[in-house]
This record gives sequence, structure tokens and C-alpha cells, in this order.
Amino acid sequence: MVNPIFILILSLAAGFLLSIFEKGGRKLSLTVFYGVLSFNVFVIAEWFYRIVFLSEPALIINTAGFTAPLSINLRLGLQESFVLLFTNFTGLMAAIYLFRKFIKSHISSLILYLILIMGINGLVMTRDLFNMFVFMEIVSISTYALTILTKTRDSLTAGFKYMIAGGTASIFFLLGVVFVYYFTGNLNLDFITQSDFSHFGLISLFLLAMAVFIELKPFPANGWALDVYQSVNSGITSVIAVVNSAGIFFVFYKISPLLPVHLLHILGIAGVITFFFSNLMGLKQTNAKRLLGYSSIGQIGLLVASLSFTIHYQTSLIYLIVGGFFVNHLIAKAGLFWLTGIVEKENLKDWGVLKNNKSLLILFGVLLFALSGLPPFPGFWAKWEFIKILTQTKMFWVVGTILLGSLFEIIFLFRWFTIAVKGDIDSNEKEIPFEFSKLFPIALFSGIILLISVAIMKSYYDFTLIQLLPIIAVLGVYLLDFIPSKIKGFLSLIVVGIYGYYLYPFESNLQLFFGIIFIVGSAINIIGTLNRKNLSQGFYGFLLMMIFSFGNLIIAKTYLEFFLAWEFMTISSFVLILRGNKAQMASLMYMIFSTAGAYLMMVGFSYAPALNSNSVLINSIANVQLPVLSIILLAIGFMIKSGSFGVHIWLPEAHAEAESDVSPFISAILLKAGVFGLLMIGISYIKNTPSFDVFYFVGWFGVITALVGAFLASFQEDAKRLLAYSSMSQVGYIVASIAILSHLGWLSAMYLSFNHMMFKSALFIAIAGVYYRTHTRTMYEMGGLIKKMPLSYITVLISIIAVSGVPPLSGFGAKWLIYSSFIEKGWYFQAGVLFFSSGVSFLYLYRLIHTIFLGQLKYEHQDIKEAPIWFIIPQYIFMAGIMAISMNPNLIIQPLNSIVGHYFQSAILIDGYNITSSLGNWNGNLVMMVTMGVFIVPLLFLKLYNGKTQKVEQFNIVYAAERPESPQTTHIAHNMYAHYRKALGGWGKPRIWNFWHEATEWSHSFGDFFRHIYTGNGQTYILHIILYIVVIYIILGV
Amino acid sequence: MIFALILGFALLLIGIYGMLSQRNLIKIVISFSIADTGTHIIIVAIGYLRGRTAPILDKAIDIANATHKVVDPIPSALVLTAIVIGLAVTALMLSFIIELYKKKKSLSIDDYQELKW
Amino acid sequence: MNIWIKILYAIISISVATIYGLILGGFVRKIYARAHGRFGPPIWQPFLDIIQTHGRRVAISHGVMYYLGPVFRLGGGLGTYLFIPVIYGSVVFANFSMAGDLLLVMYFIFFGQLGMALGAGQGGHPYSPLGIARGLAQMSAFEVPFSLAVIAVAIQYQSLNITTIVAAQQGSILNWTLFTNPFAVIAAMISLLGMNMHSPFSIVLAPQEIPIGPPIEMNGSFLGILQTNRGLFAAAKLVLFMNLFFGGATNLLIMVIKTFFIYLVSVIVGASFPRFRPEQSFRFFLKWPTIIGIIGIIFVAYF
Repeated sequence: MVNPIFILILSLAAGFLLSIFEKGGRKLSLTVFYGVLSFNVFVIAEWFYRIVFLSEPALIINTAGFTAPLSINLRLGLQESFVLLFTNFTGLMAAIYLFRKFIKSHISSLILYLILIMGINGLVMTRDLFNMFVFMEIVSISTYALTILTKTRDSLTAGFKYMIAGGTASIFFLLGVVFVYYFTGNLNLDFITQSDFSHFGLISLFLLAMAVFIELKPFPANGWALDVYQSVNSGITSVIAVVNSAGIFFVFYKISPLLPVHLLHILGIAGVITFFFSNLMGLKQTNAKRLLGYSSIGQIGLLVASLSFTIHYQTSLIYLIVGGFFVNHLIAKAGLFWLTGIVEKENLKDWGVLKNNKSLLILFGVLLFALSGLPPFPGFWAKWEFIKILTQTKMFWVVGTILLGSLFEIIFLFRWFTIAVKGDIDSNEKEIPFEFSKLFPIALFSGIILLISVAIMKSYYDFTLIQLLPIIAVLGVYLLDFIPSKIKGFLSLIVVGIYGYYLYPFESNLQLFFGIIFIVGSAINIIGTLNRKNLSQGFYGFLLMMIFSFGNLIIAKTYLEFFLAWEFMTISSFVLILRGNKAQMASLMYMIFSTAGAYLMMVGFSYAPALNSNSVLINSIANVQLPVLSIILLAIGFMIKSGSFGVHIWLPEAHAEAESDVSPFISAILLKAGVFGLLMIGISYIKNTPSFDVFYFVGWFGVITALVGAFLASFQEDAKRLLAYSSMSQVGYIVASIAILSHLGWLSAMYLSFNHMMFKSALFIAIAGVYYRTHTRTMYEMGGLIKKMPLSYITVLISIIAVSGVPPLSGFGAKWLIYSSFIEKGWYFQAGVLFFSSGVSFLYLYRLIHTIFLGQLKYEHQDIKEAPIWFIIPQYIFMAGIMAISMNPNLIIQPLNSIVGHYFQSAILIDGYNITSSLGNWNGNLVMMVTMGVFIVPLLFLKLYNGKTQKVEQFNIVYAAERPESPQTTHIAHNMYAHYRKALGGWGKPRIWNFWHEATEWSHSFGDFFRHIYTGNGQTYILHIILYIVVIYIILGV
Repeated sequence: MIFALILGFALLLIGIYGMLSQRNLIKIVISFSIADTGTHIIIVAIGYLRGRTAPILDKAIDIANATHKVVDPIPSALVLTAIVIGLAVTALMLSFIIELYKKKKSLSIDDYQELKW
Repeated sequence: MNIWIKILYAIISISVATIYGLILGGFVRKIYARAHGRFGPPIWQPFLDIIQTHGRRVAISHGVMYYLGPVFRLGGGLGTYLFIPVIYGSVVFANFSMAGDLLLVMYFIFFGQLGMALGAGQGGHPYSPLGIARGLAQMSAFEVPFSLAVIAVAIQYQSLNITTIVAAQQGSILNWTLFTNPFAVIAAMISLLGMNMHSPFSIVLAPQEIPIGPPIEMNGSFLGILQTNRGLFAAAKLVLFMNLFFGGATNLLIMVIKTFFIYLVSVIVGASFPRFRPEQSFRFFLKWPTIIGIIGIIFVAYF
């Protein structure tokens, strides 16, 4: 138990003596240097432990033998010890990171570094305003000097700009301090209260606050900081961005109780604006460190905003929100800045080198995901709670600005991430050298942020193991990654089985139904992944993560649990999609749209009334009257996930570019999560009808999606894109049927969901097999494969019949239910659109099967074999399922009837095999019998009568007396529906794509426009600062 | 005292104006110094509290009530410290200018705009 | 009812419809010939054609799917016919209409078309997919006015059950859908032009462009089956239209008269107009007939 004043004393002493120790060699001075830094950490850690776990009171240290206010006093309470532990530890880590630099550099760098850390300690602990000024200047001067640790022209220039900006700010601070003294006669924070200030006296607080605020780099008075971040040595940058920022932020925290609420709010809004604009401008950045600089500035803005808006809430919540943002940003940013020093690539485009270094890539991923505010990292929880507070106080503009800013941040961060994973790489690129001293701090920080995340989940939210399961899956499989992928696949299958078994008792009705789609469907699809030959590192971890999040979605009890599972699902599916060969753009689009959807959902959930029961969300939400705004936001969120028209453009890319055995998961199962969500809103909707009929519009969106999806599918040349658009179309049917909100409607939605899961999985796996053999997805490059891959052909044949709705297979049941429900509801025109869409679906279905399997076989495919057994098995499991429910629709109709019966009066009558609705009837079994009859009779006739069938070779066709030249010219496949495209005329233009393209262009142009205020001229930056203060002063209107 | 106050503010504004208008790096630093000096004069001008005595504990002041009778000694120390700090910053700025000049042989701030946007 | 009697009835019903359909086909060929200034074949020519094609010594097959294509096609025709009650009140001609409603019939039509398309696809001839692509596209277009008409009918009679729909039109000629909702009937009749693929919508078989299109590779018994189906399927479609829009039939004679006149519409139009280009055809169906169909729905639903 060492008095923390010794931190200051020892650091100062060591700082002065270092040049003497230096005479004994660099080893000695380095030992002293690291010794003192470690000592600091140790002292603070002990105090932190005592305060947190032994509940000791805050320590007040008086100096010079007097009590305050006559003397300066220091305080070490919970907040101080936490911030100091963090800053000292980061300081130590940064010093370790700089180890190689410090071996060679002049001894003064070590001295400056020690003084800097000492200054931060003083800054955090002191309660005296003037003392604060002194420590601030100590920190500043040592930082200025350290900016040229690596002396380049850029770092000198940046350092100079930093100095004049910092100097200007310090003048204002000094003025503020002296005015505070003038008005209150005191400088000690413990003895000044807000009431001491007259109205005019507020000017002093204003100057004080602004000086600190300028140091926190508000937009647009922050150009100098960006230059520093860009040009200074990564280790020092991390100190400036993390340690200094933490210290200054704590100063802001200390003076914030003095500030009048409206000033605090203005500063909060200024923080939000900073967050928004720095992320907007970040969009255009290509320099890695400057990008991090923009992100850094933005995050600090968010931190300030979170403090300003939550300051009157209960302490634990402030700790979670402000502390969450604080820890999240600073840890992630420190790690990322260190990484830029290792990778040493200025341009983001060159970051592809990371993919050759798996461990660095993983660290990069962890830090980047954390910075993006994704779960389980602290920023996620902070954002959730913060948005909740803002939404409940109806600060929608702030919410919108923050979320839009976050979205921009996601865009540039994940663009960077996808480059790192998939970017082009120079073939003669050197390996990144391994330096333990540089890697160690990054790894440690990544570990720490994960630990903090788990700690938050366990201690603040009381989450159980099951909510942690998705993370455990990733980490667990990571440890087992040396095992061959086939064994991992089998293990995954077993694990999923156990998980399903564990989940089973928690499920009933609707949950059980989706449990089957999610868990059983996934399990069968896992068989298809067993064909993987290499190690497939990381694949099964994220696959399991995704499957577990599906399950967790079903059993979620609160909004947060649901949203958490949802986000885990997004993360895991993003990583899985990114594994595809050319999936860089596709996965990025997926991430952007998913995140936008998730933010809408977050606001929707925040605005929803609290749940008052302990049962699962899908049941308890029935008793909640969701506000219209919530319903709209949630519905859009879910519809983005299910690829509704307007927000569908991610879907074909993601489904097509994912690895071929991943696509079935994405398309057949993941989309159902959106369906599940919509049903969930529906459950609340039917019990508590909102004043505005949102679902009427959802219904229209659904049918338009169905039609547009079908058309788009028909015009594809790529088999997987075709299937992707087909999924879009089918899910459009499902969404529209949910929106009907009737017994028949929901029955059809669920029936189709189940059916779609089976036939779309089968189709994607069949195409996976074809791709595996032919190495192409472009359909016109294939043809005639029926003789080479008959089993796959049969799957595709049965599946397309099931998709099209042609009797006697299960698809007809869906069509029958859907049209009956639409007509019964009175949605006649919607039904008309669906009829149209169903007609168009024949186009793409025929195109799929014809261009791949029928027509002329290509020469290069003469020798290919049937798809591997691992692809065939799951296909035929699904085929068995389709045939079973085709023969006996009651297998699924009856359970669904009782499930939907919980929500609506049953609208159908089941009598044996005959199902009667208010409009008509359908006897699936009899249809099957008749069909078999009318099929077998002509077949037998042909067999018996036409005995002299002669088989002919390829090309033996009636061809206008000419011999066909090659399969390429004989196989009609390319641009098959050119005439239809022509007929559609202007309707066939990719308007939605263009819209999003324009939106991207515009936001980038705006970003580019605004960043031009940073002219690079130091004087302009001072002008910004002065003007900023003046403008805030005018807004404040003191 | 009011004269000193006006002088201080005037110097502050002149300094700031100089920082914004001068192109020469050294002149900018000089302007900074002027502004800094202005601040120091302001502190001196208003740091004094009317009706209290010097912070020297003798018989005239009993220790129990000391805090209400004497002028807080810190503002007096404040200006000294501020001057020292200002000096340090100015010195550091000038040394940066020397280094910058070595690299690019220019003293105009307009020649140091490579880092931007 | 005993299943065997049911099957016996079905056989009778199918035979009648097939023979009627083929004669109708022959008759139409005659009409076309006269319109073109020729004498034309005898009206039993379709029977002769079928006998002739089945009599071939060798039938060329391109593979399993090719072999099954005509089977699908005829199965589709048989099934479509069997799910329609042909004569109102008749047990023999009720077929298997209790298996489902109008939606079943509409979708069973696709059964034969899809199967045939697949079979023709395996034939490997470039004209087959060309014809099929046109056919599918045109089908998706003319389905729009037809389905709008069907929806209008469903709204009007609050049922999709064909027998119920026919029952509702009994009593007076003014009860026919033709008179209660003329818009829907016009829309449906225009789409029937597309279904029957007479000019101007004869883009699928288009003898001068893509000689006969999808069935180009079909020969021998395969072709014979297709020809049989042509008669049966035509009868099935006409009966369906008669049931939905023209009051159905209470005996065979009325059925023959009504379906003949329904068919005559297609024939007259077909003999009078030249062929559209594919995109013209699609665009046509998606424009005026669709608008008329929408009016038909508005007419029954909101007036």
C-alpha cells in the first residue's frame, strides 16, 4: 500500500536521474525506466483493488502540510484509480511497444516519456484547477517533444501545429482558471460549486470548459490532431490518442459538475456533431493512421456526448455507458495504432499483407470489431444503453446522427477489414517481421478487451453460458484448428445436435418450428461442408457461432438478448461470407446493410415499452403495445435481413460470393431470422393493434419483392445469383403472407418458410456440387450435365417443381394457401402481383435447370463425375422431406395449424387429407394419386407400345441440313430472356442499385467536401479554434 | 488595476491577431508570446482579492480562520508558473522552427501544408 | 364411391374430351384453310396424324428426360382435365374435381408445360429452348390478366371451387360471369388468345422463324402423344373457361356448343392478325388486358 504521491515523486526523480543512470549504460537506464512505469501500474492496481474489492474510501492526499483549499490536494477514488490504472498500464504497454526505439533513441525521450506519464497521473488526481493547468502543460510539452521521436518533416510540421493549437487552448484555460478564482475566490474543485458563479461568472467556466474541450478535438477545430495522428510514430500516437485523451477526458469529467446543464448539452451536441462529421470524412481516407485519427476524434466526441447526456443518471449506468465507450475506444485504438506501426503500410489498399499473417489478422479483427461497437465488446453495451436513454428522452435527432455516424464508421472500418482479409497482395511482398515487443502489447490488449466484455456480460447483465456460447464456439474451435476439417465438421454436427437437444425443452410452438428450421436445417447443411479438404481454419467456429445465435434468437427473453443474438448472427455470417474468394465487396455490403438494419432495430427496441414478464420474448411481446415508430423501425430492420425490395442489393452479392457450401446457410436459413422477427412483431401487432397499419405497407413491399426478385433472377447468368434472387422472391412471399395477419396468411408463411428452407438448401448444395466439378457458376458455360450428374439433376428437378408450385409437390400447398389467404383478406391486387411473380418464376427455374443440365454438353465437361457424396447426402435428406410433405401435407399443415391457432381462430378445416378453406379445398394426397396415375399411364403406354426407341449421340439433331459446329453455338443459354428485357423497357433499369450507388457517391463526396476545411495550414487551425469558441459562445448566449 | 486589465486583454488580442495574420513562423511564435504575456498581466490584474491580507501566518491571523482572512497564495504563484511554462513552450516552438528550417529552408507557414484533409 | 367406377368414369370422360378436342382441332384447321383460300385437310386429319406418328418403326430418343417430356405433357393434359368438373350435375363428367379448386387447375396446367420444356430441352436442338423461352415469357405475361380475372371471379362468388362457381351462374343467361362482370371476362378471353397460341401470339411454335419450336426434335410416338394431348388439353382449357365465365354446361351438347364458340374467338383473331414479335406480345398482355382485369376486380370488389 504505497501512497500514490510516490508515483509523482518517483517518476520525477527518475526523470531527473535518468541522464545520470545513462552513464551506466542504456541497460541500466532502461531498467529504471521500465521499473518506474511498472511501479506506477503496481501502485495504482493495488489501490484499485482496494477500492473496488475491499470497498475502501477514496484517498485524499494533502500536500505541504495544509488542508485544502490552502494547499493542493489529490484524490484517488474509484474513477481516478480506474482511469489511472488504464493510463499507466497503456503507458507501460506503449513503452514496451517502443522498446526497440527506446534502445536506440536519445535518453531524453525516456525522460520525456516518464514525465508525460507522471503528468497524466497528476492531471487525473489533482483537485486544484491551477495545478491541473500545470500538469496539463507538463503533459503537453513532453508530448510536443515526443512527437519527433521519429524525426521526419511531417512529424515536425505536425508537432508545430500541435504546439500552437495546444498553446492557444492553454491560454484560454489559464484565463478560465483566473476568472474562476476571481469569481469564487477559490481554485479547488471540492470547494467550488455551480452556485458560486453569478450569471456573468459563467464566462470563466465557459473558458475553462472550452479550453479542455478544444483539447478533446471537436469538429472542426481539430485539424492539428489529425496531422499528429498521421505523422507521428505509432507508439507515441497511441500515447497521444489514448493516454493523453483519457487524461484530458477525465479533466472534462472533473469539471463537468460545475458546468451549467445547457452548456453541457451544447458540448454534448458538439460531441455528436464531431462524431458524425469525423466518420463522414473518414469515408474518403486512404491513409491508415489518418483514418484511425478520424475515428479517434469521432469516438472522443461520442464519449463527451455520452457523458453530457447521461450525467444525471444513476452511477452504474454512467459507468457502463461512459466507461464502456472509454475502455472500448481507447483499448481498440491503442491496439490499432500499434498495428499500423507493425504493418507499416500507409495506404489502406496495401493492407492485404495481413492475410499472410494469421495471428496479426485475428488481432486486427478483434480490435476492429471492438472499435465498431459490435458485441460482445464494451462499446456495444454502452451504445445500447446510451441509445436507450436518448430514445426514451426523445432525442431522436441525436440518435439519428450518432447512428448514421456509426454506420459511416462501420463502412470505412469494414472496408479496411475486408481489404486486410481479401485485398490484393504484391507477390514479392516481404513477410511482416515478427517483433515480440510490438506484438505482445497488442495481444494483451485484445485479450483484455475480451475479458472486459465477458465481465460486463456476466456481472452487469447476468447473462448465462448460453448467451456466451457463440463467443465460446469461436474461441473453442480456434484452439482446435489444427484438426482436419472433416473431423471438425463431424464434431460440429455433434455439438449442434447437443445444442438442439439442450434447446428442445425450452421451445414450444412457434419456437419449436423455427428451432427445426434453424437447428435441424443447419445440421443437415453441415453435412455439405464435410467435403472440405483443407484445414478450413476458423470456418467451423463462425459456423457454430451462427447456428448458436439462431438458437439464442429463439429463446431470447429480453430485447437485449434478442438483439445480442441478432448481432452475433450478423458478425458470424459476415465472416462466413467474407471467406468467399471474391467476397470482399459482397461481404462489405452485407455488413453495411445489416448494421443499418441493426441500428434501426436498436432504436425500435429502445422505444418499445418494457416487458413485464419473464417468459421468452416471442410470447411476452404479445402483451406489449409497441409504438408505431418501433414497429416501423423493427419491420425495416427485419426486412433488410430478409432482403426486401429496396434494401435487397446486398443479397445477391452475399449469397453468390459466399463459399458454395456456406450459401445454403445464408440463403435457406439466415433469411428466416428476418421472418422470425417479423412474426414476432406480428404477435404484438395482432393483440395490440397500432393506430397506423404498418403491415399493410409491409405486405406491399413483400409482393413487390416477390415480383422484382423473380424478374431479377430470370436475367442472371450466374447460377448462385439466380438462386439468391429466387430466395429474395420467395421470402417476399413469406413477408407478404405474414403481413396479412390472418390464420391462413401465417399458415402459408410458415409452410413456405419450411418448404423454402428445404428446397433452397437442396438447390444451393446441388449447385455447390456442380461448381465443385465444373469450377464455374456461369450457367451458359455448362450444359448437358444431366448425363454426368444425374443425382444432382433429380434434386434440382424436384426442387424447382417445389419452388414453382406445380402440383403434386409441396410447393403447390404454399401457392394454394397464399392465394386463398390473400383473396380471403381482400388483398386482391397483391394477389395479382403474386400471380405474376409466380409466372415469372418459371422463367428462372427453367433457365437454371436447362442451361446447366439440359442442352448440349461442353467438350471440357466430357469427363466430369457426379458431385461428391457429402453434397449428395444432404440433398437427398431434403428431397425425402419434400416428398414426405408432398405425399402427406398433413405432416406439416396439422402442426402449423395448431401453432397458428394460438394467435388466430383457425380458418381451415382438415378432414383426412382434405383441407378446406373458406374459398376452396385441396386434397394433397388425392392430387398426388391422380398425378401418379396420369403420369404412369402414358409412360406405360410409351414403354409398351414404343419399343423401338433408338438412342442417339450428341449433336444428332434435325438441324436444317447442317451439322452443329460446337456445343457453345448450339446450346441456347446466354441472355436467354433478352426479349423479355426488351419488353420491359425502362422498367428493367437497375434503379435501386443506382440509388444506393448514388447514395454512396454522395456521402463520399460530402465527406470529401468537409475534410477540405483541414487545409494543412497551422494558422487556419488556430482560426478554427478561435472561431469555434466564439460560435459556441454565441450559441450559449451567456 | 483596471488599466492593467485592459492592457492585458489588448495584448492578448494583439497576440491572437498576430498568430492569425503573420505568415512567418518566428513571428507567429512571437505573437504567441505576446498573447501569453497578455494573459499573465490579466492574472496579475485580477488575482488579487480585495480586503484580505498577505498569506503570512503571524499573530495577526489566527490559524483557525486563516482561510477566510488571507489571500490564497496560489494565484500569486500562478503567474510565475505560467511564465515559466510559457517560456518552455516558446523555447520548444523555436527549436521546432530550427529543425523545420533545416529540413525545408523556409520560415513561411504556408510551406508546411503537406499534411491535410 | 368405388374407386374403380370412378376410374371408369374418368376414362369415359377423357375419351369424350379427347375425341371432341381432336375433332375441334381438325375443324379449326379447316376453317384456317378456308380463310387462306385452301380446301384444307379432312376434319379427322388429327386422328390420321396420330395413327401415322405412332406407326413409325423407329423413334429417336435423346435421353431419359427427353423420353419423359411427352409423358409429362400428356399427364399434364390428363390431370388438368381430370381436376375440372366438365358437366354441371353429371357424375360421370365430374372427374376428380373434389381433389382441389381452381388454383389446383391453374397450377396443374404448368405440370405438362414444365415437363415438356424439360424434355424438349434435352433434345439439344437450339430451337427448343428458343421456343420455350418465348413460351415461358409469354405465359408469365398472359397469366396476369387471367389471374386477375380469376381473382375477380373468386371475389364475385366468394369461392374458388369450380362447381360452386358454375352453380352460381345457373338459372338465367344473365347470371353468367360474361354479363355480371364483363371486364373480367374480356381480360380472360384475351389471355385465352395467348394460351391457345394462335396469331398474333403464335410466337412459340412460329413455323417460319423457329420451325415448330419446342417439339422440333419430337418424333414417332413421342409426337403422337403430344398430338393426342393437343386435343385433350384444348378441350380442358375451353371447358375451364366455359365453367368460369359462360355458365358451365348441364349436358354434353351445351358443352360442345359453348366451347366451340369460345374457341372460335381465338380462331377468328388468329386468322385475321399477323404475328407479334415476342416483346410486343409480352408488352401487349401487360398493358390493356391487365388494365381491364384490374377494372374487373374493382368492378366486383368495390361496386
